[in-house]
Amino acid sequence: MASSQTTTKKDDKPAAESKPEQQQQPGAEQKTAALEEDDEFEDFPVDDWEQEDTEAAASGSGATQHLWEESWDDDDTSDDFSAQLKEELKKVEASKKR
Amino acid sequence: MEFNATFFNEFAETLSKQEGYRLSRTLLPDIPTEKLRKISQSQNAHNIKGVLRRGLQGNAALVGELDHQEVQAWVEVYAAYWNATGVILAARESSSDGSKSSGLVWTKAYEAWTELLNVLLRGYQNSGFEAWTIPCMYVVCKHLRIFAMQADEERNNSSSFDDTAAAFQDDFDPETNKRQKLEDCARVLSRVFMVCQTDRAPLEESRKWGSYYIANLLLKTYFKLNSASLSKNILNSLRAGGRDMPQFSAFPKSQQVTFKYHEGVLAFLDENYDLAEQCLTEAWNLCHKHAVRNKELILTYLIPCHLIKSHTLPTEKLLEPFPRLQKLFLPLCRCIKRGELHKFDLALQEGEDEFVKRRIYLTLERGRDIALRNLLRKVFLARGFEEAKEGEKPARRTRVPVAEFAAAISLGSQEKIDNDEVECLLANMIYKNHMKGYISRQHGIVVLSKSGAFPGTGV
Repeated sequence: MASSQTTTKKDDKPAAESKPEQQQQPGAEQKTAALEEDDEFEDFPVDDWEQEDTEAAASGSGATQHLWEESWDDDDTSDDFSAQLKEELKKVEASKKR
Repeated sequence: MEFNATFFNEFAETLSKQEGYRLSRTLLPDIPTEKLRKISQSQNAHNIKGVLRRGLQGNAALVGELDHQEVQAWVEVYAAYWNATGVILAARESSSDGSKSSGLVWTKAYEAWTELLNVLLRGYQNSGFEAWTIPCMYVVCKHLRIFAMQADEERNNSSSFDDTAAAFQDDFDPETNKRQKLEDCARVLSRVFMVCQTDRAPLEESRKWGSYYIANLLLKTYFKLNSASLSKNILNSLRAGGRDMPQFSAFPKSQQVTFKYHEGVLAFLDENYDLAEQCLTEAWNLCHKHAVRNKELILTYLIPCHLIKSHTLPTEKLLEPFPRLQKLFLPLCRCIKRGELHKFDLALQEGEDEFVKRRIYLTLERGRDIALRNLLRKVFLARGFEEAKEGEKPARRTRVPVAEFAAAISLGSQEKIDNDEVECLLANMIYKNHMKGYISRQHGIVVLSKSGAFPGTGV
């Protein structure tokens, strides 16, 4: 109980305070931000758990395939950007031929 | 629990059954105020030790379990706990009053709790407390840290006359002062850590089993204090003691996951992305499936790791339960995937504050290479195939004018990028093995490799 109260209180204040500091001294920005961080790893409500309650078990074996994908997408060429790019490349080619 | 017959029976029973976690619940400070008041008012300072001594010694079940010195040590522990309950009660009452006059009540609570920890520690060092009781240490250490943060917060919010007085001293540093009690707490915890680490008893009954719990508390504290170097000392100490330590996998999963998370983030900040990826993946896999916030924290660092190491992006399925992560990463991921360089820069700018705060900005910035690689790859694909000779598979056109790359790179940004700069970017891509080929400056073209112009991407 006491712990959750403190953490919520802590979250609000430093976030508000850190802004003016950041503007004043951009060099120290990263340090300040890290100091005021609310990214603390939380205590688990239980000490230990069964293998079947782990994330790995929950998302099934072969999980990694569904969770991560390649960074490019050859199928998705219908977006504006792809169309724009094709236009642009045509222009370059046309100016070459002239 | 009040110090009555029920308490002494409970103590005796946990002792005979050696139930450490159950025993540790007799030392909790975060109990309802009414209970706290009952404990505090059930005794007075004059009587407390006598009552405890008679209660602990007089219990038939205890005879033979504890020697005289150990009984005396537990008397000291519970007396210190009793004393702390009074101080905490006063602190709670004063903070709910909102009256400022009562001084720094949480500082007093922190001090009373430190005393309890010292007494408990002495029990381990001098009076032969057994290793199964180590959860008592967990509870006391965990709350010491909470009281330290409360004390710091209270002091920082209170009138600043203390600060102005301190400011006249030469070596006054307001940042340090802000975290005074937490720093003190870190020093105390590192002593506890050593008491666990240096235990020479056989492994089955060694305090070494307490090492990871205390190490995790210390790591959390050092992260708050922003001290990576002190964190690394803890990792080194655990590594050095590795051979004499119990198997890591034998520790409770909560401890394994917490430790791997911190180890991973430290490696990440060191730009050791191999180790970071490995640790964070372990943490992810073992994490409790319902611990959403912790999973979110793990992914915050695992996603940039994957981007750098294997050039992979999180799927929408992975991000589905985490709206905060979607907001943080999806715009960038989309730009990387499409090769939208200019929008990538905008997205990076847009999220800069948040990225810097999470200490992932520099790593994500390196994702620009992947966005650029995907853009160049698109240009290459758009050029299509050479006319196929009979009976042969059509080959891609591998000679790409620099001007086409240049047009693609400056697309969307409205500003013309000059040729030298384009060539520089291309040379970098080749150097980093994102692209295979060479630049022919004479002809203003890039000659790409016929077998795998963009390694690892299928073309």
